[in-house]
Amino acid sequence: MTELTIKQLVVARGGIPVVRGIDLTVRSGEISVVLGSNGAGKTTSLEGISGIIPAKGAILLDGEDISGQAAGIRARRGLRHVEQGRTVFPEMTTEENLKVALAPGASLDEAYGLFPELVQRRDIKSAMLSGGEQQMLVIARALVGRPKVILIDEMSSGLAPVIVSRLMEAVRKLADGGMAVLLVEQFANLALGVGNRAYVLRRGAVVYNGGCEALLKDPARLHHLYLGDVADSVAMHA
Amino acid sequence: MNSLLTSAVAGLSAGGAYAILGVCAIFTYRLVAVVNFTGAAIGATGTFVMVALYESGVPLALAVPVGIVAGALAALAVGLVMATWFSGAAASTKAAVTAALLVGIIAVGLRLTGGQHPHNFPDLIPGSAFRLAGVEVTWAAVVTIAISVLFTFITEQFLARTQTGLELRALSQRPMAAELIGIRVKLLALSVWAVMGAVTAFALMVIAPQRAPDFMSLSLLVVPALAAALIGAFASFRAALAGGMAIGIIEGLASGLDTFSQYRGAIPFLVILAVLMWSQRGARFDEAR
Ligand SMILES: Nc1ncnc2c1ncn2[C@@H]1O[C@H](COP(=O)(O)OP(=O)(O)OP(=O)(O)O)[C@@H](O)[C@H]1O
Ligand SMILES: [Mg+2]
Repeated sequence: MTELTIKQLVVARGGIPVVRGIDLTVRSGEISVVLGSNGAGKTTSLEGISGIIPAKGAILLDGEDISGQAAGIRARRGLRHVEQGRTVFPEMTTEENLKVALAPGASLDEAYGLFPELVQRRDIKSAMLSGGEQQMLVIARALVGRPKVILIDEMSSGLAPVIVSRLMEAVRKLADGGMAVLLVEQFANLALGVGNRAYVLRRGAVVYNGGCEALLKDPARLHHLYLGDVADSVAMHA
Repeated sequence: MNSLLTSAVAGLSAGGAYAILGVCAIFTYRLVAVVNFTGAAIGATGTFVMVALYESGVPLALAVPVGIVAGALAALAVGLVMATWFSGAAASTKAAVTAALLVGIIAVGLRLTGGQHPHNFPDLIPGSAFRLAGVEVTWAAVVTIAISVLFTFITEQFLARTQTGLELRALSQRPMAAELIGIRVKLLALSVWAVMGAVTAFALMVIAPQRAPDFMSLSLLVVPALAAALIGAFASFRAALAGGMAIGIIEGLASGLDTFSQYRGAIPFLVILAVLMWSQRGARFDEAR
């Protein structure tokens, strides 16, 4: 049983705090969805959690604060960050991308089991894969590292709806297999459909923390959460 | 014609040296993404440690390995600077940092080794291997060429076939993604530096007796080394190998022709210029369209 708890996370960009004291939790077997419009601070939060950029606040992995550790150490502790933008190793084949990330005792079959589509692409240079295949590959690459917690940033951007559904289903499987998943998305409905807990970020702060289902059933509320201040100011000027 | 051939063969020994240094430059560039101006200076450091020990009576069998280790440590120091403070910097910044470090290393190196003061460089690999076109081809030349071929071959195989090789390729393609999947990025990068330092130190020890063996001249072998690496487009070990040999042979040819012999030092520069202009050709063609 794993639990990642984030307390009062503050992350600055160019000296300006763009994530301003957020609290998040994700447990094994669950998907915590993080929503928010462009520039809300979703990517910055994940980068602070995985250690790509420095952050203040507590990052508790199974009760131990890992916030002082370098990104590589956090990774070896069982944190995997699947970055925005499908960061395959472009000159390496699909299979080499997986092999390089293989944890002791893990097997490539785990990756191919999750995404059978990748089997016939195993010897192709990953730069030549389609966007959807590359996204599958980076998720599978994280999986074969046998992490406890996986952070996924905007896996759906630029992909066809069928592929996105396919990816959502796969991420649900990861959680069902016991992993803790923090899923960042801009397009809410599909993510809320597979998630357990939801957070909505606006201007670097959490403006909603609750069940996914409640939000899914109340599109008007979701809309307001996303665009709150914009909606208010539009109303003011009207 | 025959005398031209003779001059060309005479360039082989320099060519072997340029080849190994060029291959090491590509090794560093491909694996840790640094255009490294300090390569030859690092090798010179190891070489002068060896010479200092030798001159004070330490047997070669001990002085040589200690010099190689010193080369590895010097490279490690440069690598540590690069990995600690400049790992996220742009390629041009990193190159500028190593150029600055080169100036610093040369200044300190010249001071510690007594400037142009002659040293007693032992011939590590003495004697002539065979005669070609009436010229003695020394064992030193044969060994340097062999080292560069072997180093190229081993590196290529290592990168293609081993897990660490795979990790090195991942690191060179996307350092951050490599770190995020738990690869020990800094350890790998520092190992690359250390290996480069050891190989360069040994190569320079072998060729030093045939060059002007002061610290500055050895350090400035980086110029033909980078010219060779440029011929390999900083990507192909084999092209750099061939390029380094070619530069040495052209230098040999030039020194055989009276009018050119004074200027043969300019040949790496001409090669760099020619390769750069050649590589811009496509870009200008695209612009013209
Ligand atoms: N390198 C940077 N330097 C300065 N500010 C940045 C930088 N990157 C992002 N920002 C700013 O930080 C804020 C949060 O950006 P972030 O990328 O975390 O948002 P996001 O929620 O991931 O958005 P998106 O949905 O577009 O990916 C934005 O206001 C953005 O302008
Ligand atoms: Mg983002």
